[in-house]
Amino acid sequence: MTLLSPKSSIDAIRSAQRKGGHLLYVVPAVFLLTLLSAFPLFQLARMSFNDVGIKNITGVWTNVGFANFKAIASDPDFKQILINTLVFVGIVTFLGLILGFAAATAFNDAKKSSDFLLAFMVFIWALPPIVNGSVWKFLLGGDGLINVLLQKVSLISEPIPFLYDPKIALYSVAMVNCWAVIPFNALILKAAFKSVSKDVLEASEIDGVTPIQQIRYVYFPSSRPTLLVLAILTLVYGFRSFDFIYVMTYGGPGLATNTLPFLGYIKAFVLFDFSKGAAIALLSAIFTSGLALLYSRSVRKEEHND
Amino acid sequence: MTNAVKKGRKKSRGIVRRSAKTIFAFFYGMPIVWIILTSFKQETDVFSTQSSLFFSPTLSTYRQLLTSSLFESFTNSIIIATCATVLTLLVSIPAGYALAHFSNQTLGIGLTALIIFQMIPQTATIIPLFQIFNKLGMLDTLPSVILADAALLTPFAILLMRPFFRSIPFALVEASQIDGASSWQSFSKISLPLARNGIATTATLIWIISWGEFLYAVNLILSPNSYPMSAILAQQVGGFGIFWPGLMALSVLASLPVAILFIFTYRLLREGLTLGAVK
Repeated sequence: MTLLSPKSSIDAIRSAQRKGGHLLYVVPAVFLLTLLSAFPLFQLARMSFNDVGIKNITGVWTNVGFANFKAIASDPDFKQILINTLVFVGIVTFLGLILGFAAATAFNDAKKSSDFLLAFMVFIWALPPIVNGSVWKFLLGGDGLINVLLQKVSLISEPIPFLYDPKIALYSVAMVNCWAVIPFNALILKAAFKSVSKDVLEASEIDGVTPIQQIRYVYFPSSRPTLLVLAILTLVYGFRSFDFIYVMTYGGPGLATNTLPFLGYIKAFVLFDFSKGAAIALLSAIFTSGLALLYSRSVRKEEHND
Repeated sequence: MTNAVKKGRKKSRGIVRRSAKTIFAFFYGMPIVWIILTSFKQETDVFSTQSSLFFSPTLSTYRQLLTSSLFESFTNSIIIATCATVLTLLVSIPAGYALAHFSNQTLGIGLTALIIFQMIPQTATIIPLFQIFNKLGMLDTLPSVILADAALLTPFAILLMRPFFRSIPFALVEASQIDGASSWQSFSKISLPLARNGIATTATLIWIISWGEFLYAVNLILSPNSYPMSAILAQQVGGFGIFWPGLMALSVLASLPVAILFIFTYRLLREGLTLGAVK
């Protein structure tokens, strides 16, 4: 018998599909990403092992081995930058998640006002970061609204130099970054809360748990996989963030609000030391790649659980 | 437990919830109110506390702003965002479709590569992109920004669309092929229409992000005359002695297209983001 049963013809199609029937469909993306993502990364790595300035950026490069990396590591300011990065990313991730969770919990009722408020917050999240950064620079200025309000209620007598004091500036920018990421986290977590079954909620209410216990023992565990994914996303968001730093402080005063990726940018485009900029950028890229692997693993675990 | 305790809890829960909502409403409403109010102020009104809420609104800032050069940068923004969106969709839709149906090791490697590309800081990629476009003689052109944006957003777009293609039962695709449809036909006639929500969500987000992108624009475009809106804002806010009403009016104008788009697509975005972020 040569007649194919329907089952086996499906199998034939299926295996052809899976083996490479769809390979043509990825060609344009592979082409674009090879030219504009992979090749630039390769160039970045090359730059970091050469001496490249504004004069020879399109010319001949001289290989200097690890000299750029050694120079960065021995720079006395480098430690400060690493601490800045840690503090900045720590605040954005920690508060971004907690306040995102808090917002999702507060909006987790069937009221129109909650839906509207969440939609409004997501709208602000979607605004150009440069707009949000500008308005916060304005609000946090010496004569800005925040200082005026705090003085009106007599909490402070002198305006706080939110963006001009090297001790405060990093926290101010980190808080604004937090503010910018909360709507997204709240949106995703609120959706995750929907998967909590009504029966469990009712049962817990009949058992007389307090609202805090309900959050702790019902909502928190059921949204844990989502929280894990969001934690990595927020961490990467905080690490990559440059727009608010660029707009509000440009890394200053001094080096106070420079994080690792931002320092790479300053070295390359302000000091025109492209090779040191590239070396710092490469370190940043390696760090995010590590996080990417972690994220990829946890997302695929979710997918397998479907 | 007595009903009284239950009632008390319900009440206190309501108070906590309401105060939390008020706080969020304040911190997200206040900046927007402030942008809009300031854009209608005169310079003298900006920092005088008496006129912070009550002042005679003026359109003079908007009148000063609305010149032909602003119109030009608005056009540049539209060109960059629209071209970047079209280019990104052209390469990402087929890729998202294909990756939804692969199931082997290549898939894992491909997805991980996309996530790595997506997460690399823009402040890192701009360094080699500047060098490459410099060498190609493409600096100071809109296509350089469009290509850079497309490279930035393609991994994001593929990863966002893939779950939409995955949610289409594969049996539908198979059935169409048993009926004799070619691979391209089952893609374009079956999968594409069914994934339209995902495509619309992705298109909206890409457009919004490339509309607001400024780091590539500021560094790849050399003459401020050809800046898009976002780059003009970046340039102005960095300067000394900022003219706040002007900057806020510019912010309003730069936010308007996003606001209009957002009103029409919020429902879509809500579903799409939720699906794309965790899957």
